[in-house]
Amino acid sequence: MPKLTIDNQSVEVPDGTNVLEAAKRLGIVIPHFCYHEALGAVGACRLCAMKFEDGPVKGIQMACMVTAQEGMVVSTLDAATVEFRAHVIEWLMMNHPHDCPVCDEGGECQLQDMTVAGGHTLRRYRGLKRTYPNQQLGPFIEHEMNRCIQCYRCARTYQDYCGGEDFGVLGTNQRVYFGRFRDGRLESPFSGNLVDVCPTGVFTDKAFRFKSRYWDLEEAPSVCPHCGLGCATIPGGRYRELQRVRAGSNRQTNGFFICDRGRFGYGHAAHAARPRVPLVDGQEVDWTQALAAARARLDKIIAAHGPRSVALLGSSRAGLEANAQLRSLARLLGTDRVVFAAHAPRDWTARTLAAGLGAQASSLDDVRRSDCLLLIGADPLAEAPLLALAVRQAVRGGARAAIIDPRPVALPCATAHLPLAPWRLGQALAALGDNDWSRFEGQEAVFLEGVHEALAGARHPIVIGGADLLGPAGMRQLLELARRLSREDRPCGAMGVLSGPNSYGAALLAGDGPDFEELSNAMITGEVRALICLESDPLTQAADPAHAGLALARLDLLVALDSLPTKTLGHAQIILPTTVTAEGAGCFVNNEGRMQTFMRVLAPGLPLRETGGGGHPPRLFMADTPGAAPRPAWEILAGLQGRAASLAELRDALAREDVRFAGLTALAAESEGQRVADAGLALPATRVEDYVPRDGELALLVCEALFGSEETAFYSAPLDPVRPEPRLILHERDAGRLGVTPGEQVRLHSAVEEVVLPVEIRADSAPGVAILPRVRGSLVEAFVPGVGPQPCRINREVDHA
Amino acid sequence: MSGYPRVLFKNRRPGETLFLDDYLAAGGYAGLRKALKTMTPAEVTATVKAAGLRGRGGAGFVTGLKWSFFPADQPGEKYLVCNGDEMEPGTYKDRQLLLADPHQLIEGMLIAAYALQAPVGYIFLRYAYEDCARNVERALGEARRAGFLGTNILGSGFSCELHLHRSAGRYILGEETALLNGLEGRRPNPRSKPPFPAQKGLFGKPTTVNNVETLANVPHIIVHGADWYQGLALTEKGAGTKLFGLSGHLNHTPCVELPLGVPLGEIISDHGGGVWQGRNFKACLPGGASTPFLTRAHWDLPMDFDTLAAAHSRLGTACVTVFDEGTCMVAATLNLNRFFQRESCGWCTPCRDGLAMVSWLLEKIESGRGTPDDIPMLQDQLRNISGRSFCALAEGAMGPVEALLRLFMDEVEDHVKKGRCPFN
Repeated sequence: MPKLTIDNQSVEVPDGTNVLEAAKRLGIVIPHFCYHEALGAVGACRLCAMKFEDGPVKGIQMACMVTAQEGMVVSTLDAATVEFRAHVIEWLMMNHPHDCPVCDEGGECQLQDMTVAGGHTLRRYRGLKRTYPNQQLGPFIEHEMNRCIQCYRCARTYQDYCGGEDFGVLGTNQRVYFGRFRDGRLESPFSGNLVDVCPTGVFTDKAFRFKSRYWDLEEAPSVCPHCGLGCATIPGGRYRELQRVRAGSNRQTNGFFICDRGRFGYGHAAHAARPRVPLVDGQEVDWTQALAAARARLDKIIAAHGPRSVALLGSSRAGLEANAQLRSLARLLGTDRVVFAAHAPRDWTARTLAAGLGAQASSLDDVRRSDCLLLIGADPLAEAPLLALAVRQAVRGGARAAIIDPRPVALPCATAHLPLAPWRLGQALAALGDNDWSRFEGQEAVFLEGVHEALAGARHPIVIGGADLLGPAGMRQLLELARRLSREDRPCGAMGVLSGPNSYGAALLAGDGPDFEELSNAMITGEVRALICLESDPLTQAADPAHAGLALARLDLLVALDSLPTKTLGHAQIILPTTVTAEGAGCFVNNEGRMQTFMRVLAPGLPLRETGGGGHPPRLFMADTPGAAPRPAWEILAGLQGRAASLAELRDALAREDVRFAGLTALAAESEGQRVADAGLALPATRVEDYVPRDGELALLVCEALFGSEETAFYSAPLDPVRPEPRLILHERDAGRLGVTPGEQVRLHSAVEEVVLPVEIRADSAPGVAILPRVRGSLVEAFVPGVGPQPCRINREVDHA
Repeated sequence: MSGYPRVLFKNRRPGETLFLDDYLAAGGYAGLRKALKTMTPAEVTATVKAAGLRGRGGAGFVTGLKWSFFPADQPGEKYLVCNGDEMEPGTYKDRQLLLADPHQLIEGMLIAAYALQAPVGYIFLRYAYEDCARNVERALGEARRAGFLGTNILGSGFSCELHLHRSAGRYILGEETALLNGLEGRRPNPRSKPPFPAQKGLFGKPTTVNNVETLANVPHIIVHGADWYQGLALTEKGAGTKLFGLSGHLNHTPCVELPLGVPLGEIISDHGGGVWQGRNFKACLPGGASTPFLTRAHWDLPMDFDTLAAAHSRLGTACVTVFDEGTCMVAATLNLNRFFQRESCGWCTPCRDGLAMVSWLLEKIESGRGTPDDIPMLQDQLRNISGRSFCALAEGAMGPVEALLRLFMDEVEDHVKKGRCPFN
């Protein structure tokens, strides 16, 4: 912990801190461009110069490049240094177009701030400015190279941090260019980070163009709802419209970056078909009527059929408070039929993880610092994209990463991949735990033995498993493996990849309660007559959507609370519109059991651009805000219990009632969040038997796709241009046997549906497995991931015809 | 011609290249044999250090000292890299050396690789030097067939492989860390130091980078010893001979080998045949485009590292470019600065944008549009670019600018006063 003096103030900093950061700790912020905490110091912009007056380093130096050392005496106010910084700004501004009035970065432009802070006021250069042609970079990013000040952050983010290969630095001298070899969509699923890291307006958010000035946005710290990792985000809204999302920073989770699904998935808030008003039997009613009607019909059913004729279904999309209110409502109604996920296997896998993770829980930051990672049945880019970035950072730091997965899992870094059929993942976990390779042969045994050796010898090993492919039994084995690999002096971490932002929280509430399969069976038998459905869409989410459809059709009453225009709403007699994440406040528990709070960014309402009649400024005078009826689900559920409640009260009650959530009351926005307390739950019994195809048969494995499967993002228009086309992935051996060529149409026969789609042929997937990434809204929507391998049959379509 | 001894050019014949048979006949590979058979690697380094050989690429760092920082004893991959990316304007001495006697470099590299215990060496050659590349390739083949290169060289147990790599052709590749990036197939931006290449160089492994001429000196030092080498120079502190490449307004522009410490005037009159067209000498770049000008006042200055440093200049590559009395020094400086501006890699601001600002100011002054404010602004640029850039490129670019403002201020002011270039 060196102690140094900066501008006559002393500061003690951790070893390895650079002097620029050390000054920041004293509140002295020296302008800088190329330095970024996540990207490191490279000494390119030369702006953070300080005068080193005494100590081991002397003279004017770039503070980012100097590691703080004991006894350093540093001045940021030295005249020559101040003069130099002003010159650097003057140089940087030589070619800048000064188009701030029409630049989308205006107001949140670091170049504006640093120019003023750097003391440069008057442009002395009167020569011609160099200009560049711009590129079309796809639907997300607008390119305006003339504004560039060559800080290299974009290339360092895109290539170094995110591992993208289609964008970088071209040219030399004053004509350095940041772009692609030729126009085209940026291939990296992390491309949106260019918007955040660019200090000026070279890369701006295309979907957000011409909508708002930064200072007009309502912003608040939030948590991304598009997977289970819980990345910090800062959504921005204006005129009743969620207009953009930028990355927040949480050093324990996402660090400083987010994926494009998280950044451009906000469009669901403004979806035209979104439920906006309470409806009873299709009639618009006010909230009092809606709640009264719902309560009266529930009471009637309970009076006729008993309290257990009412069931409640929560979800991993809804916050912890809403799900907890669902549980209180169940208690009030006197029913124990409350379930927190529509997909039973996912539910049990999450419950297994939540019950057994304990002290082995690893954060994304732990992954970034790990020196040995095993990913089994997890495809980060499809299921939890920021995990891929975390793995990349570990590998950049020298870690070894091994992947065991039937899919051709590709990460933006060097990894070793063993394509293993899904029904053999459990065997692999057992083999790794027992150090016994007898059930594997040749290269497989060598691979597993190598993985075991690496994990055993590592200082910070972490095993990561995907819920969908492992299932509850595999998740249990994963936790067991981590325990076996742990030694007293060196624990082995574990991480489960869950699908929803609150899958973990929902699982904690579920405990050993029933699952949706049990519930839907009870609906079909008529034992359950009414269902209260909280932000859940069993018709697209259940492990067996067709079975869920039969169940819903049998109900006397479906009360649906939702913010999305889901299929399930079509069956509901009573629809209670809820707010989306950014319109309410609440807490998500991420896949490592971290409770994080999200704040209300904006009030719900129909976007002004839709109601303003096209005028500018849009002036329409009315007493009510159109489309403003949606309420936070916890508020509606409290209302159904006949009480008004504040979020703080609900949290207090939940924390008092359930020791695991004790940290909830102290949870602050923009913090690192708090892990739920270990409750010592018993691991649920596992019972799933995987289908194992016989020789010559193919098994169908449905899995997630980056922009295709996630529910909330499906309703987001900014992501429309990047939706994948449905395709079936076959191993080349199977394709050869079937006589199928790449891109050829095949007919897939399965218990779910019969569909015709093109094939992709791979050498790096597991033989015997036909892989189908789910694309919502397409012909393969009915196929749901997370149900294990299924029997299937595949024919060439030409043969069929 | 002078009676100075020739070392590097002793086998040089006009229009001819010396290959293996002639090289052996002239005593070639005796140094390698001596080093491998009779000396330990540490002894080789000690001898080179004692000889006082300083880097011939421009910076003049003591070669033996550089080698002594190298972890020769550390097992694993290590590299020797020969910097043949000779792109400094006015500098062509390495080319002459490779055109005359390529085996000299290969022998020097093998001895160096032995001293450093580096099993692999790269010759990084300037893009345009096709003739040199052919010579080096042929010499490498000959050396390999003769058992000087490859495994178990001369039965010593020492193995070394040398590879020729031709640059993609930018000046910045002469900067040793940019060169290493270029050699790795990356963008040739310089790397920050520390870590120095001796710790973390090519492919992250210990690496030493030496100039062609530097390495060519090594066999002679090994054969004749450190004292002999030191005695070659005319100055007390200097050591060895130096290739001087002449260019500019001279009657003759040869590349000649002379002892370090030979006076500037002697080089110009005896070897350059005096300034052309009977004109007077005005100034020169003593060692490439990045070295501050010398003037008539420096006529008797001994050309060596320390003497030139004392004269506010640098020996650099010792390739002297002469300007006659009719030369506009503003125009000359502008021309030089445009080169550096164009060759900036674009990494750091003072170099990428600062040099462009300097060019703009010099252009303004040269074209007669200069104002009195431009001179202090030029001084501003000089003060803030010097010593503040990421690597030495911008620092070098400021050499002529600094000398212009120090030695030829009246000429600069004259441009502004007259509103035109007084030489046009």
